[in-house]
Amino acid sequence: MAYAYLFKYIIIGDTGVGKSCLLLQFTDKRFQPVHDLTIGVEFGARMITIDGKQIKLQIWDTAGQEAFRSITRSYYRGAAGALLVYDITRRDTFNHLTTWLEDARQHSNSNMVIMLIGNKSDLESRREVKKEEGEAFAREHGLVFMETSAKTAANVEEAFINTAKEIYEKIQEGVFDINNEANGIKIGPQHSTAGGASGAGGAGAGGLKRRGAAVCNEHWYETYSMPDL
Amino acid sequence: MFRSRSWFGASWGRPKNPHSLERLKYLHNILCKNTTVSENNRGTLVESLRCIAEILIWGDQNDSSVFDFFLEKNMLSYFLKIMRQKCGGSSYVCVQLLQTLNILFENIRNETSLYYLLSNNHVNSIIVHKFDFSDEEVMAYYISFLKTLSLKLNNHTIHFFYNEHTKDFPLYTEAIKFFNHSESMVRIAVRTLTLNVYRVQDASMLRFIRDRTAAPYFSNLVWFIGKHILELNACVRNDAEHFSSHQSQQKLDDLVAEHLDHLHYINDILCLNIPDLNDVLTEHLLHKLFVPLYIYSLTSESTRRATSSSPYNRDHIQSIEAITRNLEAILKGKNTDTSPARMTFPRHRMETEDECKPSVSGVVSLFLLSQVFLIITHGPIVHALAWIILQSDLSVFEVGATKILEMYISNAKTNVKLEFSKPQLSLEKALETTSSERDYTTPEYSGPKHFGDDLDNTDQSSCDLDPELVSTSLPSTSHISESSSIDHDSTEDLVTQVQSMKSISAVTVKENMPDSPLPDSGIESSSSKSNEFNNITDEEKQKMLGVTSSTSNERVITIESIIDKENKEIEKRPFLKTIFDSLDCSENDYKALFALCLLFALINNKGVNTELLDTLLCPEEEILCSTSECGSNTPVSGSSSNVENEATSSEGKTDVSSPPDRRPLQSFNALLISKLMAIANLSCKTASKVRLVTLELSVTLMRVAMCGTKGASARYAPDVNALRARAASLARNFYKCDDIFLDMFEDEYCETSKRPLNVEWLCMDAAILLPPTRTPMSGIAFAKRLPSGEMERARRAIRTFFLIRDLYLKLTGKPETQLPLTNPAPFVQVGESLDLNDSDLISCDIIQKDGTWQHRFLAVDSIEIILVEPDKQRLGWGVAKLVGSLQDLEIQGDKEDPRCLHLTIHKPRVGASGALPRTVLLRAKFKFDDHIRSMAAKQRLTKGRTKSRQKKMQQIGRLLEVSGMCAPALAPRHRPLFARPALAALAARRSTGGEDDTERRLRRPSAHMLKDGIVVYRERTTSRESSVSRSSSAQGSREGSPRARSEDIPMEEIKRNAAALAVASTPVISQTQHSTSTPLQKTISSSEETSFISSEPQRPKRKGLVETI
Repeated sequence: MAYAYLFKYIIIGDTGVGKSCLLLQFTDKRFQPVHDLTIGVEFGARMITIDGKQIKLQIWDTAGQEAFRSITRSYYRGAAGALLVYDITRRDTFNHLTTWLEDARQHSNSNMVIMLIGNKSDLESRREVKKEEGEAFAREHGLVFMETSAKTAANVEEAFINTAKEIYEKIQEGVFDINNEANGIKIGPQHSTAGGASGAGGAGAGGLKRRGAAVCNEHWYETYSMPDL
Repeated sequence: MFRSRSWFGASWGRPKNPHSLERLKYLHNILCKNTTVSENNRGTLVESLRCIAEILIWGDQNDSSVFDFFLEKNMLSYFLKIMRQKCGGSSYVCVQLLQTLNILFENIRNETSLYYLLSNNHVNSIIVHKFDFSDEEVMAYYISFLKTLSLKLNNHTIHFFYNEHTKDFPLYTEAIKFFNHSESMVRIAVRTLTLNVYRVQDASMLRFIRDRTAAPYFSNLVWFIGKHILELNACVRNDAEHFSSHQSQQKLDDLVAEHLDHLHYINDILCLNIPDLNDVLTEHLLHKLFVPLYIYSLTSESTRRATSSSPYNRDHIQSIEAITRNLEAILKGKNTDTSPARMTFPRHRMETEDECKPSVSGVVSLFLLSQVFLIITHGPIVHALAWIILQSDLSVFEVGATKILEMYISNAKTNVKLEFSKPQLSLEKALETTSSERDYTTPEYSGPKHFGDDLDNTDQSSCDLDPELVSTSLPSTSHISESSSIDHDSTEDLVTQVQSMKSISAVTVKENMPDSPLPDSGIESSSSKSNEFNNITDEEKQKMLGVTSSTSNERVITIESIIDKENKEIEKRPFLKTIFDSLDCSENDYKALFALCLLFALINNKGVNTELLDTLLCPEEEILCSTSECGSNTPVSGSSSNVENEATSSEGKTDVSSPPDRRPLQSFNALLISKLMAIANLSCKTASKVRLVTLELSVTLMRVAMCGTKGASARYAPDVNALRARAASLARNFYKCDDIFLDMFEDEYCETSKRPLNVEWLCMDAAILLPPTRTPMSGIAFAKRLPSGEMERARRAIRTFFLIRDLYLKLTGKPETQLPLTNPAPFVQVGESLDLNDSDLISCDIIQKDGTWQHRFLAVDSIEIILVEPDKQRLGWGVAKLVGSLQDLEIQGDKEDPRCLHLTIHKPRVGASGALPRTVLLRAKFKFDDHIRSMAAKQRLTKGRTKSRQKKMQQIGRLLEVSGMCAPALAPRHRPLFARPALAALAARRSTGGEDDTERRLRRPSAHMLKDGIVVYRERTTSRESSVSRSSSAQGSREGSPRARSEDIPMEEIKRNAAALAVASTPVISQTQHSTSTPLQKTISSSEETSFISSEPQRPKRKGLVETI
């Protein structure tokens, strides 16, 4: 699948706030939210369209790696966007936001777009954190804010897409250096092969197309030269 | 086939409930019927696989029979079958398969279900399956799958992945093949996985990892770090030569961050405390990276110079090379005589240089070593590195490698006693059992030389074939492949493996071979040594003289002689000498900053033996004392200035017979301090090239270095005091009774106290790798560049003063009493009730920008502006609604309406918040009853502002020892405009004497003599303020009032002051005695001329300040 850009996201927040469920909810619509099923995933990818351009989102959940400093460090740095999630029914997850944010700000590149998400908005009766508090926190720290529910899929789509839109705008403004993949942004194959795009139209030659792109890209070449034994 | 379901009736129909056993049975049927993937059934298969994941998780949470069915039918085997088909659209199906597996392993909660899933080898077969990794989506899902599995590892589940009998661990071995993948997220996932594996702490599994994978994996890891470093170096060199572009700086940022990532990763491994792994990793890091590249590069700069300069230099350089080689031999536990080793770091093909060994610039190597010492705390590594940097000297040649080895080991042994017991035991073990340790690597490496006969070939292979190197040298994963009937690659696998293993061994052996015989080091060293002794630079001596010139004569001699001696000694420590030489800031502080970072990191690293650090931190005498106490038979005893010749020569001999740890450490403490002093001295010069960050770091280090001495404060206090005086005089150049200077002074104080230096963060900043710049347009923080323009020079001077003053106070143990600048009295609290009888109040309406409107009374104290609302309970009392500092008040007239004033009120800076930046409380339009009252208010505010500022300027003047200001401080007297019952007691407690209170009561009536402001403005007074305020000097405007005279300072105080300080040019005095103060004014205005502000354009906001009536 050809895309104009690939954005890498990470999801951060305390355990149990529903990060992986959000991720699955967004990346795979086929999994309909059902009341008696909690299901999540640590990685997902999905294509969206912004401004008529195909943009691929790759979302990496960082759960379970907090024990290692080197890992959190690298994750932050390699991402263009981050979803900072808390659980509206658990005050402590909201209180920890500052720590998460400090971490993110320290390790990420300064352009990373961070979106604050209050998850589990369906559990209104058990709410511990007011929406206004979330809004205030976001305002104070310059984040975009949204309350979502992975259960009912409310706002999930918007959360991811709005973040992507912001990243896209930053690219248009020239803030992001898109040639630097360490920023968590990658240009799609057809961009780098400006002239050679003619062959890319062929629908059936999925594998072939990719090979073609790889030759143009040094990094890819390194990967491909891996021996297949 | 799928279509045929309708023929079988309802039983084959799609069950309505998506989460049920029936549904899974139905899906199983689909899998059975679609064993071959084709264009037609692809969609159906994918959807079925997806549904299976959903149902299984639902079953895990709700209905166990679902899982039983899945296992009973062995449905994972279907997955494998589908996966192995080489079909056009298989990547589409594979992605779905991997997602299903991800979901399965991620969400499963039931332990037994998990065990069942893992129990037959299917998962391992999936792991070793060669997916199309060129598809980035497949790659991402695959690596997430492996990572998810690794998160499930524990002492039980490990056995499903690691097969003890077949020595197979596909999860790990397959994953590390991607450790250098181009995709950063993949690399991170691999690192996560390895860490998750290591932490399981299963002895057998760890043994496998050590024996079969550690050497190849770590050597590759290390090699890629090295490659990275060379890239970084090239980047720095390019940037230094050409103007640095934004892009290349971003690249530099990335490379630095990447190096930090690697170091953190290594540290994370080391922190898991797995002795076997740590040994291998330590060995690889030291032998292949830190010593041959980082340490070696410390001297690389001089290598280049060597060709052109004196023979001494060449000898010196060669001996350095020899040292590095010997060191390596030592670390390997081999004797140089039997097997001369050489640097094994593979050659880097650089276009420009004809160097025979890869190296990075001195700046980069200092920077990298700083990072190493900041991040890695593993004893054996940092201790060995510190030992090499601090201790390795020319005696290496005399004593011979074996003895040094002994000494090194025994040093390590003492280390064990002192600190970390576990890691250091492992170092000991590592050093003692190097031969046996080698055993596990040698079989892999000791194959016949198949290729790589010429050196280029060797380089080629080590440069470009690394991923293969990893993948092929890893143990076989073929066991699983063999078990599966479809795969025929297995035998081929084995063959290739054996072959590739041989080739690797050839490469490594080749690398280890010396390409030139070792120079006869012994002869060289002796010749160079004699040269060195004649070669002591007088430059340094002179510098030392400059530093200590202000101190007493006797002490000069002793300190000088110590430094002199240390200067000679350091010639024998090539690495330490390089670092010390880098501290020279006479040209710029580019290198010095990194040398300081390294020293700081070295000193603060917890893994480095404190005894070793005494070299830097403890003065000579104390080390000698302690050694003579513990080892009575050591021949070194004297502390006279020429003992060092004998000492070193005897050391060499005695070491052979006596225990090596008795060898007294040569201290370089005095030399270090003198070098740091030189930096501080240089930064007190007007056109200094020392950046603030460099100064701050040297001051920090100086404090640490002086701590080791018992009589440090006595010894160095005079020097530091002289330094402080110099810093004060630098700042004095900018001192002026001026708005900007005071604001700057307080802001800079706030900056310095708010952000103490964080060296770790400093070393994360790639920007410091570029030569120091001046322009703020570079985006580099002020402290990390040179000042640009007069304003920044003033800021720099002020901060320099703060830093050095702080050092002085800390050294002498004096408490901080003058900073932050204090207010003469506490501020009124908001909400407090004030007695306003007898006070001047001006009624006004406050109109804010958003149109809100309030009526208040304006009261002005000596330091604060207060907006009050009448107290409803008590007549004549008011409640403070807003309290702002007069000092920071901004006043502006309204052009259209003479009744109005625009005021910006700032929050008072009190106590702890004195170090916080200014915050605006209110910015609004104040409307008074008529233009006269508006004017009265304006004058009162302006004057109050000026006065409160003058008070602070006096404080600064005292701090900076401005002439005439160094007299004892005026007793702070507070005469409130109104009684504050709540605070009266507090004020009394704060003031020096009890009489103050009574004094105040007596004075009060006189302070409020005038209630009608109108009279005031008729009387014309030439105010001193006009010359103070920069906007008005030309106009000679009139301000002030008789009321001011009476209110400003009580008569008795004026008299006393005037008597005490005849020359004192305090503006307060001149204000009240304007007729007699003309000479004073002159002195002040002349000082104004030298100040920078006079040449600056006026600040627009001050324009409306002075008007003529």
